[in-house]
Amino acid sequence: MSESKMSPDDPRLSAYAFGELSPEEAAEVAAAIKDNPALAAEVDAIRALGGELESALAAETLPATEPVNLAEPIEFPLGRRTVKRFPYFLVSGLAAAGFAVLVVVQSPDSPLVGTQEVAVAPAAQPMEMVTYDPHAPSSDRLADRSSESAEIEVSFSEVPAATDNLATPVPPPLSSATGPMVGSGKPPAGAKRMAVAPSAELTAASGRMMSLAAVEAADRGGGEGYATQEAHGWQQVSHQPLSTFGVDVDSASYANVRRFLNNGSLPPVDAVKIEELVNAFPYDYAAPEAHQDAPLRANLEVASAPWAPEHRLVRIGLKAREMTVAERSPANLVFLLDVSGSMNAPQKLPLVKDAMRLLVSQLKDEDRVAIVTYAGQSGLALPSTPVRESRKITAALAALSPSGSTHGSRGIHLAYDVAKANFVVGGINRVILCTDGDFNIGTTGLGELERLIEAKAESGVFLTALGFGSGNYQDDTLELLANHGNGAHGYIDSAREARRLLVEQVNGTLATVAQDVKIQVEFNPLQVASYRLIGYNNRRLAAEEFNDDSIDAGEIGAGHTVTALYEVIPTGAEMPNPGATIDALRYQAVPDNPPSGQHAHEMLTVKVRAQPPGGGRSALHPFPLVDGGASFAGATADFKFAAAVAGFGLKLRARPAAEQITYAQVETWGRAGIVNDPGGYRSEFLDLVHQARSLTEN
Amino acid sequence: MMKPTGNDEYAGNWIADAMRDHQAPLVRYVARLVGNDLDRAQDVVQDAFLRLCQQPEGDVRGHVVEWLYTVCRNRAVDVVRKEGRMRSFAEGEVEQVRAGEDRPGRALEVEETRAAVLELIDQLPTNQQEVIRLKFQSGFSYKEISRITKLSVSNVGYLIHMAVKQLRADMAAQQP
Repeated sequence: MSESKMSPDDPRLSAYAFGELSPEEAAEVAAAIKDNPALAAEVDAIRALGGELESALAAETLPATEPVNLAEPIEFPLGRRTVKRFPYFLVSGLAAAGFAVLVVVQSPDSPLVGTQEVAVAPAAQPMEMVTYDPHAPSSDRLADRSSESAEIEVSFSEVPAATDNLATPVPPPLSSATGPMVGSGKPPAGAKRMAVAPSAELTAASGRMMSLAAVEAADRGGGEGYATQEAHGWQQVSHQPLSTFGVDVDSASYANVRRFLNNGSLPPVDAVKIEELVNAFPYDYAAPEAHQDAPLRANLEVASAPWAPEHRLVRIGLKAREMTVAERSPANLVFLLDVSGSMNAPQKLPLVKDAMRLLVSQLKDEDRVAIVTYAGQSGLALPSTPVRESRKITAALAALSPSGSTHGSRGIHLAYDVAKANFVVGGINRVILCTDGDFNIGTTGLGELERLIEAKAESGVFLTALGFGSGNYQDDTLELLANHGNGAHGYIDSAREARRLLVEQVNGTLATVAQDVKIQVEFNPLQVASYRLIGYNNRRLAAEEFNDDSIDAGEIGAGHTVTALYEVIPTGAEMPNPGATIDALRYQAVPDNPPSGQHAHEMLTVKVRAQPPGGGRSALHPFPLVDGGASFAGATADFKFAAAVAGFGLKLRARPAAEQITYAQVETWGRAGIVNDPGGYRSEFLDLVHQARSLTEN
Repeated sequence: MMKPTGNDEYAGNWIADAMRDHQAPLVRYVARLVGNDLDRAQDVVQDAFLRLCQQPEGDVRGHVVEWLYTVCRNRAVDVVRKEGRMRSFAEGEVEQVRAGEDRPGRALEVEETRAAVLELIDQLPTNQQEVIRLKFQSGFSYKEISRITKLSVSNVGYLIHMAVKQLRADMAAQQP
């Protein structure tokens, strides 16, 4: 199929040139280039370049290295056991330079109690100490596990720190060579560790704390970060008549999934958030009536679920009040831009600058923009400047260049300070963070960052977190920031996506019309046996959190739409997994007040709760729904399209044990949903489905 | 070029042999990941060998080199993360790697071409640089690179393809 029209951009061409394809794949490519001299020339050129790269890289100078002496395994008398191949070089090297060495070996399954100290080779001053656990396993047993988990953590830290950690008296080193402490980390309690007190020389060489453990952490962080999402299954109305969740208008997952697919791989399951895929598309929902003064309106629709015609699919489509540019309150924006070295890639800082220029072009003259950067030194690149002087803003943007390391928390402090200093009462006050998310948060951990952002959000300044780039993109960090900072988060993979978020939806991105928006659906047991909410896996709330205004939920910007889908099994229909039903309860009296005649025909009621922007008491908006029995074919185009996107998400998340949905079906449903496609976003979705299909069929 | 295939047979003191063959290339690789800090890279690599000592030989035999690169990379990422040293690994590198002395005639020309190629490599996005080096300097296969970097094989293929395309365009642009 595709062989005959293989493009020169197909990565298989270079894989073929470098002999990386399986015999079958290689045969396919060979067939494709046989009749195509241009492709054949391409392969030759690629191969030639490979040779050049090899010889150029082979000639590159190698760094000089200190030989590591591992030749003489030494034996420590550890009870009746011995440790072989101990890294003698480390001890001997340090001893020669003159310092205290402290070694703790501890088994992973015994706590750090009952340790003993043994002085080893105390010939020279200072002394070396070995602390060990008498129950420590032999080196062989240690080694057995070491491929799984880190066995030993080495930290270079100042002697007193080591003493504190180990509660072991160590004479301070006598040598004047002992250097100052350069960042000491406290190893996690109970971890096996080997603390080595460095000399100035070694300190200079090795600088800060180095952890040998935390290999798992590194494994996790080696790539991109996504929080695990637990998919929730079917609920029985008889036991769970209420379903509650916080809304999410983010669409970051869609742009990210698109990047994976366009790069030729299926996205990791946890990168697929179905609600964010569905919400990446504009839907033509009715806005609240102007005279109603309600910030939101729910557009409900129900029809057959395309993947299970005996099930009903319920679409909840919220639409926020529209706002014209003229209506929008004046804005006080602070761009908080990550200019660290990790942003030095075409899809990062240059795209950030383009995106911010686009945003500035959408602002009104009286709006204000400041620019704060964070890197080695966090700084104010541009004090708050009216957009009227947009030339100053663009010049400041142009002058930014990637440098240094990231210090996120200091940048956050500064950005919020600037935003507060220029606070517009009743206006839009917002920090717009642009980063790959992979930032050092100073001395704090994620939990602390969460509290920092929460505290900052109380100032009334909102946050928009925009993710850029790939490779070390940390989706979960950004989402966490946005969720705790009264904000939204987006992922920008292209100028087109920047345009969508910052131009087409600029009012929604900037102006919040409702905050802490929650949805609670009550199902009628006369009509519905079971239901499942599709997506929103990390947005679920307990039923009692619905009316609790202190519980944080999502914000909705002007003109934004939010879509949620429930798959519903009507009473009398077959259950998806009959074995998993819950028995009738023995002690809970069956309510003998079945829904009165007035409501008996309703399928469900959607209750929407929202607070006005800036906080305050939430208002409740109920929307009952009666199932008119529509077939999927009879549904609106928006409904069909949302169903297609949800089906796509279910399919992507379900691999390898696939749901009974095929990509071909998704394409059919999606195509039925394209009637009006300004911007071409829906057509692009079909291309992605096609791409996913070709990836799985290969 | 060293060929770290899956079949290295380290008889006897296999760790010493692995160190002799791979210590310096590993330091060079890690240095680029940790902001060109050679000292830090030395530490990371030493620690990796230290850990290697604790591996039962049977567990790593046949893929010692891949194991070393994987462990070093994980640790380098950890170090970078802890210290926030997100400096691009291309910074200041060009001077360092072009340290070849002037040589007369043909040798100079070859040297210059190589230096130019290295310089172009350094201008690639960092993730492309890394896979290009793992492929053409360390000689790993796409599959091995995928395991070392935790990228998918098709992602590795894509990055290499993009890098090759870019390098060809750059080199064509340099032709007088």
